[in-house]
Amino acid sequence: MTLGESCLPAPPTRHAPPAALLRAQGLHKRFGGVEAVRDISLAVWAGQVLAIIGPNGAGKSTLLNLLSGLYQPDAGEMSFDGVKLVGLPAHKRARLGLARTFQKIRLFRGVSVLDNVIAAFHTRHDIPPWQYVVHAAAFERDRARCREEALRLLAFVGLEQRADLLAASLAYGEQRMLELARALAASPRLLMVDEPAAGLNGAEVERLIDRIRLLQQREMTIIVVEHNMDLVMEIADRVLVMDYGQHLFAGTPGEVQANPAVISAYLGA
Amino acid sequence: MLTVALQQTINGVVFGSLYVLVALGLTLIYGVLVQINFAHADVVTIGAFAAYFFTFTLGGNYLVSIAVALVIGAALGWLVNAAIFAPLRGRSELLPLIATIGVSILLQNAMLLAFGPIPYAFDSPYSNAVLRLWGGTFITWQNLIIITVSAGTVALLYAFMKFTFMGKALRAVAQDRETAGLMGINPNALVMLTFVIASALAGMGGAMLGPILVLTPFAGTTVIVKAFAIVIIGGFGNVEGTIIAGLLVGLIESYTTQLLNPGLTDIVVFGLLLLMLALRPTGLIAERREENV
Amino acid sequence: MRRWGWFAIAVVAIAVLPLVLQDSYWRTNLIVCALNVILAVSLDFVLGYAGQLNLGHAAFYGIGAYASTLLVMGLGVPFWAAFVLGAMLSGIVGMALAIFAARLRGHYLAIASLGFAVIVHQVLLNWISLTQGPLGIYAIKPPPAIALPGLPVVAFGEPANMFYLVAGFALLFYLLLDQLVRSPIGATLAAIREDEVSAASFGIHCTAWKVFAFGLASALAGAAGGFYASFVGTLVPDAFTITESFTVLAMVIVGGMGTLIGPVWGAILLTVLPELFRGFGDFRLVLYGATLTLVVLFMPGGIAQAARILRRRVGSFLEPAQAGFGQ
Repeated sequence: MTLGESCLPAPPTRHAPPAALLRAQGLHKRFGGVEAVRDISLAVWAGQVLAIIGPNGAGKSTLLNLLSGLYQPDAGEMSFDGVKLVGLPAHKRARLGLARTFQKIRLFRGVSVLDNVIAAFHTRHDIPPWQYVVHAAAFERDRARCREEALRLLAFVGLEQRADLLAASLAYGEQRMLELARALAASPRLLMVDEPAAGLNGAEVERLIDRIRLLQQREMTIIVVEHNMDLVMEIADRVLVMDYGQHLFAGTPGEVQANPAVISAYLGA
Repeated sequence: MLTVALQQTINGVVFGSLYVLVALGLTLIYGVLVQINFAHADVVTIGAFAAYFFTFTLGGNYLVSIAVALVIGAALGWLVNAAIFAPLRGRSELLPLIATIGVSILLQNAMLLAFGPIPYAFDSPYSNAVLRLWGGTFITWQNLIIITVSAGTVALLYAFMKFTFMGKALRAVAQDRETAGLMGINPNALVMLTFVIASALAGMGGAMLGPILVLTPFAGTTVIVKAFAIVIIGGFGNVEGTIIAGLLVGLIESYTTQLLNPGLTDIVVFGLLLLMLALRPTGLIAERREENV
Repeated sequence: MRRWGWFAIAVVAIAVLPLVLQDSYWRTNLIVCALNVILAVSLDFVLGYAGQLNLGHAAFYGIGAYASTLLVMGLGVPFWAAFVLGAMLSGIVGMALAIFAARLRGHYLAIASLGFAVIVHQVLLNWISLTQGPLGIYAIKPPPAIALPGLPVVAFGEPANMFYLVAGFALLFYLLLDQLVRSPIGATLAAIREDEVSAASFGIHCTAWKVFAFGLASALAGAAGGFYASFVGTLVPDAFTITESFTVLAMVIVGGMGTLIGPVWGAILLTVLPELFRGFGDFRLVLYGATLTLVVLFMPGGIAQAARILRRRVGSFLEPAQAGFGQ
């Protein structure tokens, strides 16, 4: 067992022990003189929720960016369902089933809430090329289907009343939820959320936890980067702790809370 | 052969110095505001006309006219910032650029109305006096003035930026506007200061360029795109880079004129620009800026 | 559907205008109007929808004009084949520029497109053996007359007929772009315009789509160039300077970036108004610059925004201006 994988066996499932859905080995990333990610390995199984935590500057977002394809690693390997990820650009990874949200909200501000979600259906349209110009039956069918599914997703995050508003006019908490809806629109097999609770108040965090739990019940695989320990304790199956770009500890939420190295890293002892 | 090479080098340095003066203004503005002022080169043209009228219509001293152009340039800078960039602050990345395109069209055609399309023969008292140098090369006193004044101004500016409090404050605002504001620096006042300095430089450059360029209201267009090329090659907001790039472009132009066809100078310079953008978009002396995702 | 109502009105207007304006001077202006509409609408596709600040659009106008003309006069290629080839060449060059500029954002792209436009202009000016340089190419013939059995011969030396041809194509091109923009492609381009990083996270290949937008827009501008050459009869490089690019940009901004119909009005307004003020000489260009600046400062959404505000005041029995794919 390598350093990155926790000492928990793969979760008991109905089949024989499956291969990890996402596997990363020895990832390194350097920016100028700073090594943001140093020798990180991890594995996530289908249906699991992995939380990545650590003090500010620990490299958590960088790790997510490496996994999603925004950055390419200087060294190391990653694979998703057996497909090699290194060298694959972000948009191709999205087509494989990797979706993500961003720490800094990156909505399409000048576009309506509904159209933000529909934009994420990019890979899922079923229209013959000529019908992009002459809008015939298949086009209309696709349009209706997209609208319907987008509204369903908005309902899931509680934004269906806001569908026709400009994304820029949403409140901060609503914008975060829209980000989630968009990521789900791509019908992902693995969802990566980067600090989804950042800036949310208590009630909003509760609602977020509730939504993620629902996703968990539907066997969605999730990687969460978070600061909010309540959230992490509630939803994570396993936790990876990073500090200064390195692997500090990995285990169940309970083990992480009790671990002295983790405590001192957070309290700076 | 050597004479020719030396002569072209001297010519290159002369034009290069002027380009540096114009491009520095652009890069300073970009450094604090992250905006492109398209009307910048028209300040150059106005500076040239101002110097012309001061010297010939009002009968003033040419050297004094350079100072006059400087002041007029400064005033224009104040105006453009107050009227365009201040109101549009923070709203959009590209709208101010387009607004300044509008201002540029306006200024050029207003000058056309006022001065007509026929080139003005701007001969300063120093245009024709020649100083013989070594190896058979020569330099007109006008060109010597250009090099001296430019070099002196750039040196002063450089010292100002590096050693005075205001200069450092300016650099602070360029790096991180919000934090600078938190530390008691008024970013808006500094932006205005930058504009005034930049446009003053442009006006001064115009006064010195007048005698060696074809002086029409559209003289700005010939210079502006080249100035952008220099700013990009040197790196947006990078003072040292702009200086090097400006001199480089001046030299390249000079050699191209001599060795190839004069009509090809623009193609060579902009070909270089495009090459630069393909390979090192952040400029010659690049600072790695990581995007915060 | 309301859209087809407007379409019918446009067709009628196009049919009727040359009959109302019998004056040869105004008929010529109509043709210039139609050409500018094609340029403005194609630039809006790249600028307003894909969000790419292309400051050198006139270069593609020029490439199309020269390419089609040289094919006809130098190689004897039939007009319409040359027309298509000229447009295709413009499109290919546009795609090349997009591939080159793929990594460039905002201001860098703006300067790169400017530099590119300068290079194209200089090439047209200096490649004398090919383009005759500043002397220009003369005696360019209009498109060949169309003789359908049983109908009178349609000769394009006639300004009215030329107008019908160009305006017809303008309408066609507008429809093409409008249909694309109301499809998922419009949503994809909007995504790229708003935020490329998150667009990529949805599987959007940003570079490929930028190349597509540039290619299509440039091809349309090149087509306009083919018409321009055969309409004006002479071709000089100075018709395709940066100033021309800025003129088209002004039309898009004044009309309303990203609305497609806005730039149509912007093109018409900024073609017709200067002609109305012709008596004022160069003052009209001062007005031009002032208009652009004031629009950006006070009504950045242009005519389209003004229309929206007016609609809200008057009461909304009209459909919203911009229909996305989801509506």
